Amino acid sequence: MSADDDIRGPFLEFAGPNGGYYADVFLKIQKATLARWHLNPAALIGSFVWAALRGNWILFTIAFVIDLVVAVNAALVYKFAKAAVDNSEKAFLVERYEGWTQSHTVAAIVLFILGRLFFAWLADRLYVGQYSRWRIDRSVNSGVAASRLVIVALVSVLIIPAMLYRSTQFSPDARSCIKQDRAIDRGEEVGFKDRFDCFVIGEFPTLFWIDRPDEITYPRGDDGSRIVKRTPPREGSPPVNLNTFVAQKIDDSVGYVTVFYAFLFDEITRLLRNMLTAITSVFVGTPWPVTMGVLLFAAYRMAGIRTTIFVGASLIYLALFGFWQTAMDTLSLVTAATIICVVAGLPLGIWVGKSVRARYIVTPILDVMQTIPSFVYLLPAIAFFSIGKPPGILATVIFAMPPMVRLTALGIRQVSEDTKEAALAFGANPRQLLLKVELPLALPSIMAGINQVVMMSLSMVVIAALIGAGGMGYIVTEALENTETGRGILAGIGIALLAMMIDRVVQRATLHRR
Amino acid sequence: MTDAAGNSVVETRNVWKIFGERADAALEAVRRDGLTKDEVLEKFDAVVGVRDVSISAGEGEIFCIMGLSGSGKSTLVRHVNRLIEPTAGEIRINGVNVGELDAEELRAMRADKIGMVFQNMALLPHRSVRDNVAFALELRNVDAFTRNGVADRVIELVSLTGYGDRYPTELSGGMQQRVGLARALAADPDILLMDEPFSALDPLIRRGLQDEFLELSASMKKTTLFITHDLDEAIRMGSRIAIMKDGEIVQTGTPEEIVTCPADDYVSDFVAGISKLRLVYAHTVMEPVEKYSANAELPALDACPHAHPDDNLDTLIGLAVNQEHPVIIMSDGKPVGVVTKDDLLRGIQGES
Repeated sequence: MSADDDIRGPFLEFAGPNGGYYADVFLKIQKATLARWHLNPAALIGSFVWAALRGNWILFTIAFVIDLVVAVNAALVYKFAKAAVDNSEKAFLVERYEGWTQSHTVAAIVLFILGRLFFAWLADRLYVGQYSRWRIDRSVNSGVAASRLVIVALVSVLIIPAMLYRSTQFSPDARSCIKQDRAIDRGEEVGFKDRFDCFVIGEFPTLFWIDRPDEITYPRGDDGSRIVKRTPPREGSPPVNLNTFVAQKIDDSVGYVTVFYAFLFDEITRLLRNMLTAITSVFVGTPWPVTMGVLLFAAYRMAGIRTTIFVGASLIYLALFGFWQTAMDTLSLVTAATIICVVAGLPLGIWVGKSVRARYIVTPILDVMQTIPSFVYLLPAIAFFSIGKPPGILATVIFAMPPMVRLTALGIRQVSEDTKEAALAFGANPRQLLLKVELPLALPSIMAGINQVVMMSLSMVVIAALIGAGGMGYIVTEALENTETGRGILAGIGIALLAMMIDRVVQRATLHRR
Repeated sequence: MTDAAGNSVVETRNVWKIFGERADAALEAVRRDGLTKDEVLEKFDAVVGVRDVSISAGEGEIFCIMGLSGSGKSTLVRHVNRLIEPTAGEIRINGVNVGELDAEELRAMRADKIGMVFQNMALLPHRSVRDNVAFALELRNVDAFTRNGVADRVIELVSLTGYGDRYPTELSGGMQQRVGLARALAADPDILLMDEPFSALDPLIRRGLQDEFLELSASMKKTTLFITHDLDEAIRMGSRIAIMKDGEIVQTGTPEEIVTCPADDYVSDFVAGISKLRLVYAHTVMEPVEKYSANAELPALDACPHAHPDDNLDTLIGLAVNQEHPVIIMSDGKPVGVVTKDDLLRGIQGES
């Protein structure tokens, strides 16, 4: 018997009141003999109060959320039932509200029963985890302490009334809240309930209103040069919120830069256009038999016969469906974007790979570049460079550059310290270390980066058709506008083939090299 | 043994290395109060890597630095080519203070004077064996024709003839380490730093490489700092051994000195399992003739087997077997000492 006591001892010490029950359950859990449908009766009845008394805040959160959802549903039942009575003269509203009343009643009952059962099922199974943590660290909550109910009370007071109030009220719409704000500004009387509803329910309240800023334009002055002209807002025009204010300011700055540094953007546009013309003349300006032959030969040399057959088939598809010129146009854009990405991304990647500070600076920028929806890039591109192919390329470059930088940096960082140390021990200077050790060892990663850049350029070039970059994307956008499903699908397949073809060749080429 | 003070090729003078943000403060405190490694870690969040180490290795000598992992032996050897900068102290190579070299001089010294072999080989996987071997020369802008010639000669030296055009990954571990050795030898350096070069290899191959290296070393006269965690290896390879513990040198001496007179319990624990047969010599176990004849009569010289003072125990046992008489140790044709069977047994036990 004493051996059994030894085993049960720590359980009893941990669980405190009602320790015998928990000792039995924990033993069964450890022996894996706990009944599949075992429920903790105390948890079934006590719910989050039980969890709080036992000091298990994970279980507390679970139980609290379950009960809160049930309570909110109950409150909604009340709200819709009341609304049905209030609008009794309108039959359709009564019907609608009664339907909602019914569905929320069902939801409340079902959630209550299932939620409690689930929680009671979960309770002991998670509680034993707390026991294990307590074995390692005695400061983990154990036993039962009434003091923990204070936290329960606090949380309940903070959350439950607001939640229930919110659920029993119809939320005011944003427009009426703005009107109300203005009314308050004018010094009119507004009831406390209306104020409270606007402040707590619905959209986050607009905390500050800002005077509408001056409208700024840049017309030509008397001598023909651009001047800054400020037009104050009309008398009595309402104040604006933060979003409108900042958006206006951004527009002003963009406008300023485009107007007064136009020469800079014109120069960049001219450079890009020249580069693109050179590339396009290769892809488009060359007669198709020559281009096709060269592409096939290159695919064969780089990636072998099987890939070449696939490339051949894809090219024939593009040619037969009349996409040849547009596809070559797209390829030129992709090539231009890729070249810029590699030329700019490789040194940046090396820098990021070598310097911790650079990593801290550049990584968040790359994150932003990758997470901003790609359509957003089109807006500044248009603002600075107007429409056409050059801004399309720039938007593409911004979108496609991150993997180049990331993978180059990764490759550089992956070079083992031992190898670098060996090179240093034989007298390598920093340049030699980079060129003879780090870059060659990072090459597979860099090639993967280039492949990514090509793929992402292709997808972005299609989107850039929206701002006049042309190519395959133009056919798709046109088809979208005129709902020409068939044309759109054919062009879509063409783009997919183009992507797969490039991907296969680049990947195979990288493999062959190893 | 080499007279180390006279013509030392590599010398470290009171070298300290403390890793951590507050290394200098820690160093000062350690010097003043003699803190232990743990105390420094606690008070300064700094790790004592090397603690006041002075060693010197003479020309052509194989100087073994032996210690367990974390004893600072690899850290110490990296000071020699300044892969690690000392916190205090100086390192001299052929009398030149390494710490005073500028970046270009340092690179030149690393490339021309010092070859290094690493435990994990650290070969460049994208280069052929020949290009790996020629790496140091390539870094010094030696033209391709010359360096390939040199590389081929060194490849032959480490018996890898015919493997020059393979990639390192195509070779076995033992062969890869030969490439590592060849790379270190290619620039014909004066000094070899060998950081546990054979530790990652299996015992048979290790043994073979040790023998080959000893042969090469005997013919090439390179000063070698040889790091190992294996006392057997240290005794096989080293003309002198320094035993390190917690960054400090516990004892420096010839293999025999280490084995017969361990400086403290730490060293004697290591030495306990080492066979002394080839490390203990007649002159240590013998009783001087005068002392022997004071207690007993010296038997007739012709009846006894004779040995030289520098003969080891193994030889003496061979002579003593099936003999009634003790072994007489002769020097310059005169008897200088006597080794009885009791002396032999004591010698084997290590309590001579």
